[in-house]
Amino acid sequence: MPVPSRGRSKSIETANARLAEMLVMPTWVILIVVFALPILGAFYLSFRNETLGAFVAAKFIGFDNYFQAFADPRFWESIWVTFILIVLALVVQIPLGIGLAVLLHRNLAGTQIFRTVLIIPMLLTPVAVGLMWRFMFDADLGVINWALEQININGPNWLGWRWPAIMAVTIVDSWQSIPFVMLITLAGLAGLPKGPPEAASIDGARASQIFFYITLPSLLPVVLVIAMIRIIDCLKMFDLIFILTGKGGPGTATQTLGMLTYNTGFIFFQISRAAALGVLMIALVAPIYVMWRRATEYAR
Amino acid sequence: MPFAKKLFSAAAILLASTTLSWADELNVFLSPSPSSTAIQSFIPAFEKATGHKVNVTEVPYGEMHQKLMLAVQLKQGQYDVAQFDNSFLTPFGAAGTMMPLDDKIAASKDYDITDFSKGQQDYGKYKGQTLGLTLSTEPFIQWYRKDIYEALGLKPATTWDEYKANAKAVKESGKGDGAIFGFGPNVSWWWMTMVWSFGGKLYDENYNPTVNSPEAVAGTQFLKDMLAYAPEGAISASSDDATIKFLSTDIGAMVQYSGYWGMLSDPANQKHAGKIGTAPMPKGTVDVTHLAGWNIGIPSDAKNPEVAWQFLEFVLGKSNAKNYINAGAAAIGRKSITSDAELVAKYPYLPVLDIPEGTRIERYPQIRVWPEFEKAALDALAGIMNGSVEVKAGLDALQETEKPILAQENAK
Repeated sequence: MPVPSRGRSKSIETANARLAEMLVMPTWVILIVVFALPILGAFYLSFRNETLGAFVAAKFIGFDNYFQAFADPRFWESIWVTFILIVLALVVQIPLGIGLAVLLHRNLAGTQIFRTVLIIPMLLTPVAVGLMWRFMFDADLGVINWALEQININGPNWLGWRWPAIMAVTIVDSWQSIPFVMLITLAGLAGLPKGPPEAASIDGARASQIFFYITLPSLLPVVLVIAMIRIIDCLKMFDLIFILTGKGGPGTATQTLGMLTYNTGFIFFQISRAAALGVLMIALVAPIYVMWRRATEYAR
Repeated sequence: MPFAKKLFSAAAILLASTTLSWADELNVFLSPSPSSTAIQSFIPAFEKATGHKVNVTEVPYGEMHQKLMLAVQLKQGQYDVAQFDNSFLTPFGAAGTMMPLDDKIAASKDYDITDFSKGQQDYGKYKGQTLGLTLSTEPFIQWYRKDIYEALGLKPATTWDEYKANAKAVKESGKGDGAIFGFGPNVSWWWMTMVWSFGGKLYDENYNPTVNSPEAVAGTQFLKDMLAYAPEGAISASSDDATIKFLSTDIGAMVQYSGYWGMLSDPANQKHAGKIGTAPMPKGTVDVTHLAGWNIGIPSDAKNPEVAWQFLEFVLGKSNAKNYINAGAAAIGRKSITSDAELVAKYPYLPVLDIPEGTRIERYPQIRVWPEFEKAALDALAGIMNGSVEVKAGLDALQETEKPILAQENAK
């Protein structure tokens, strides 16, 4: 069999590279059309005063939309609400998700059934979940306050007050997201070597010591990835709040940045102001994305 | 003939025959609602009578107005007929979304605009031009539980003071909660009604907000006071929630849009069937009726405006009005409908739709910035209703919030 010359080999490599580029091209085109152009469009819009209501002829207004956003207390409140929801989500969901994963990892009796049941909330659409929980949280007709009454607890008006409404959003979001945390953690647990915990056990370490000093540190990269994903999910949380608290109510108590952007663009018809808020949201998400990438690399 | 050529010829013939069989295609834009269902029930008859094909696009309420506005701005003639909420009349008018219909109305015998009271003739008007026909007439009316009122010897209230007294009597009797409004995400509907009813306005003729006037404070205070007689969950109740609570629990009275009467047809809401009475909304210092409801019109870029009008006349003309309500639609307040004995026997609330000539009719505020104005009010009212802010202080703060919003109204 003749061996190709070095020059011919190089030309084959070049041809292969070109073919690869050609094959990847449609993906790039789709990405540009679907992601890059809308983002550029949003940037462009954010420097104009476009409104669907056509109050004035649209023109370039520089950074006015951004200054307006920074001067609007609703903007800062929405960031605060988003931050609170993120913190509550992480504090509630990660420990519970890890706890459930550790329990299921022991393969106790009924684990398979329990695992299947726990995954169900994750499979439901947020709108259906929001509607269902909205009825359950109803102070007069809802099952939650009825159940609390049975144990002599006077349940709050979940959707009528600021903190109960935030708690309600956290409860529903956790109900849907804990299975996700649990699944990823289970995968992480399955990938851990069995030697170190067994050695520690032989050396007389208690189960809690094994968990906190061996298992949890080994899971840290996985936990970081989960945390990043949950942060991004909370930042873009929209449908659940839209349905559960009626677009961020009561008042602005659960109005996240995403909800404020929606209200500005599609309720007030202030397209350019909404675009500026969208750009600011990208600016907020970008560092988290970088952190996520680093966490992923660390996990590898 | 090769197979591909045969296939192409067959497709061409099929396409031609399809095109030839319909004189004009009409694209109708609707929102899922009893009115939409009723309209669609007349499409086969319209197609048969005129030879025009009718296509329907249904878009949920939450996105329909934005979608329609965008579609018209593209000027592609995507829709020939469009349903819209009266609260969007002004944004649509300002953006030139809908076509004026006055000439068509004046020339139409079957539509017969004189069958509406004067106030209702203006329901679809923006700056003197009719941009939408009335698709439903839904004033705020008083709903009350006849069984509870009879047991306590109460009569439907004619004033807000009586309304509060009735609510107190019901609550104290232990027969149920006194009364309910939607104090949650739609509380602005009741709030502006109270402001008007107590003699106030939301803004003056120069678009300066007047939401902290003594009248507005009195109306807001009354609204808040009524929370004491409402079920606990009323503070977060949307308009739908309030109606469901009224229909499924024991509550003496409710002020609600008449259009919600259709909810009684749902078997789940018939717990108190036959026990619900209706009366006009109580009066405050001013005799006001808050009138809401759907409009329907022809988008300004419609491809077939003449056929579109033919369709509107066919469905909403006086001769079809009775069939229209019997098809399940929310009633249109034609005099011929509200006085029809047969219909009144079936829909006892109909006479309440006949708003007396002396009553001032208030619609959603006719300002372009209404959505933003309303959202600011909702945000402020949430704090006022749950008591975290005093009424006067909350309205003073709202006054300041509304100033820059209303200032946009003066922008050229």
